Amino acid sequence: MENIIEVKHLTYRYQEDDPRPALNDVSFNVHAGEWLAIVGHNGSGKSTLAKSLDGLLPFTTGEVTVGGIQLTPETVWQVREKIGMIFQNPDNQFVGATVEDDVAFGLENRQMPRTEMLPRVKDAIARVGMSDFAQREPSSLSGGQKQRVALAGIVAIAPDVLILDEATSMLDPQGRREMLALVRELRQTQHLTVISITHDIDEAAIADRVLVIDDGQLIDEATPATIFAQGERLVELGLDLPFTEKLKAALRQRGIEPPANYQSAVEMEEWLWQSLSNT
Amino acid sequence: MAISFEHVSYTYQAGTPMATSAVSDVSFTVPDHGYLAIIGHTGSGKSTLIQQLNALLKPTAGEITVDDFTITPKTTNTALKPLRRHVGMVFQFPESQLFEETVRQDIAFGPKNFGMGETDANKLADAMLQTVGLDSSYAERSPFELSGGQMRRVAIAGVLAMRPKVLVLDEPTAGLDPQGRQEMMSLFERLHREQGLAIVLVTHQMEDVVQYAEQVAVMRDGKLVKFGTPAEVFSSESWLRENQLDMPQAAQVAQRLANRGLTWDSLPLTADQLADQLAARWPREGGAHV
Repeated sequence: MENIIEVKHLTYRYQEDDPRPALNDVSFNVHAGEWLAIVGHNGSGKSTLAKSLDGLLPFTTGEVTVGGIQLTPETVWQVREKIGMIFQNPDNQFVGATVEDDVAFGLENRQMPRTEMLPRVKDAIARVGMSDFAQREPSSLSGGQKQRVALAGIVAIAPDVLILDEATSMLDPQGRREMLALVRELRQTQHLTVISITHDIDEAAIADRVLVIDDGQLIDEATPATIFAQGERLVELGLDLPFTEKLKAALRQRGIEPPANYQSAVEMEEWLWQSLSNT
Repeated sequence: MAISFEHVSYTYQAGTPMATSAVSDVSFTVPDHGYLAIIGHTGSGKSTLIQQLNALLKPTAGEITVDDFTITPKTTNTALKPLRRHVGMVFQFPESQLFEETVRQDIAFGPKNFGMGETDANKLADAMLQTVGLDSSYAERSPFELSGGQMRRVAIAGVLAMRPKVLVLDEPTAGLDPQGRQEMMSLFERLHREQGLAIVLVTHQMEDVVQYAEQVAVMRDGKLVKFGTPAEVFSSESWLRENQLDMPQAAQVAQRLANRGLTWDSLPLTADQLADQLAARWPREGGAHV
């Protein structure tokens, strides 16, 4: 599979004399079109990693290539054309007076002619289901609506890669579900590669692949099911336990031995049903 | 009777053409040292409701009692100072309100503002720092060089330094990682259990509601649509669905098994409750038919 991003031996220190780098010799590839989750507890270095990919933090040593372009101070703007980022706090990323202005901002920066820009902005806002709010002030929207507007900004620019940096962590459960459903849909229609940095077990479960960062180092890389089967260790990795793992732990305490592999809620229900009725 | 609401309503910009009703005719009672969770959608009136507990908003109708304090539409502002010490409020992202040069100064600010001497206030600050799980090495540091989770602890220590008897928490774990969330919820549980603090928790986390709360208030469109124990509130799947509320995960699994013919003594709400009931009917190895 073609790699849209290649990271080789990336090291980053916030201060030059820092003995513990925030990122320590991290190497991995991101395949074009995949959904990659990056997990790790607070302070593990995962947000530093995301910002390094976009050239927001100039790394000390290593190599980052995005869409065949090697990231350097000279190419940073070309690389940013290819990557859209959405951050945790929806309040910190608005610049426009209205939703429409805000979505147009990225295109204005790219000096797109107005006649081309207007339909594109309108279309982007429609794709995220916010047409009724096009003239509203971003500050009057709910957290979930604000993140939709941020997504519309991404759709308008049509990057190859979307990075979600804990983008759902401030939303209520419904807002989170809606946002993830929308990202899934956009990933299909816009042929996006998605990198989501998250603590949310449901968000990590959507991914094709999960990278685990701890103490600035890449310590694991596997499918969500393999990662989730690690049980109690997940908490150390900065994830919550899936409910099925909590229930398994509670059953073991009561002398019942459940299967060791990861089970989805439906699979676990089936196993419970079989065990209880199969006598 | 620790907290009671009697026919409480709150209207923003009352008496103007812009008047909007945010809370309408809400009545409930929470016993001494209770633990109440308030749930409901964004915009359902939860925040308006809790801001009346220390009279940041005074009800436009009805009466609120918090221990020995009574708040009515006529309550004057001069009567509020002791109430505001009695009811500690932790708003969303409380770390955004930190401002002092050191952690100790920030925590001591409230008590000093209420007339406590510098030495006593600093001593109290150090004790509160310990209560929220940060050791004394943090006292001299700037609050702004701490991690988000640590900053939030400092902000909570500042509220606790006022020695409140009621602690009101508005989504206190939002934005923290799972481990941080768990530690924060354990801290409140300990304050509740060991020091008898009454807790009022606004949350979207149903798992926290079933694990910690003794009573649950469900708000919808400014009205209290359900009030009871977690078992009562989460008893009806169809009612929860109508109100767009999530069932706790244990209850979801239990409900699906019930749909296949299993019967429960009472609907399990936590992993432990579910495991208890499963273990009770688990077939013994090599045993006869159940």
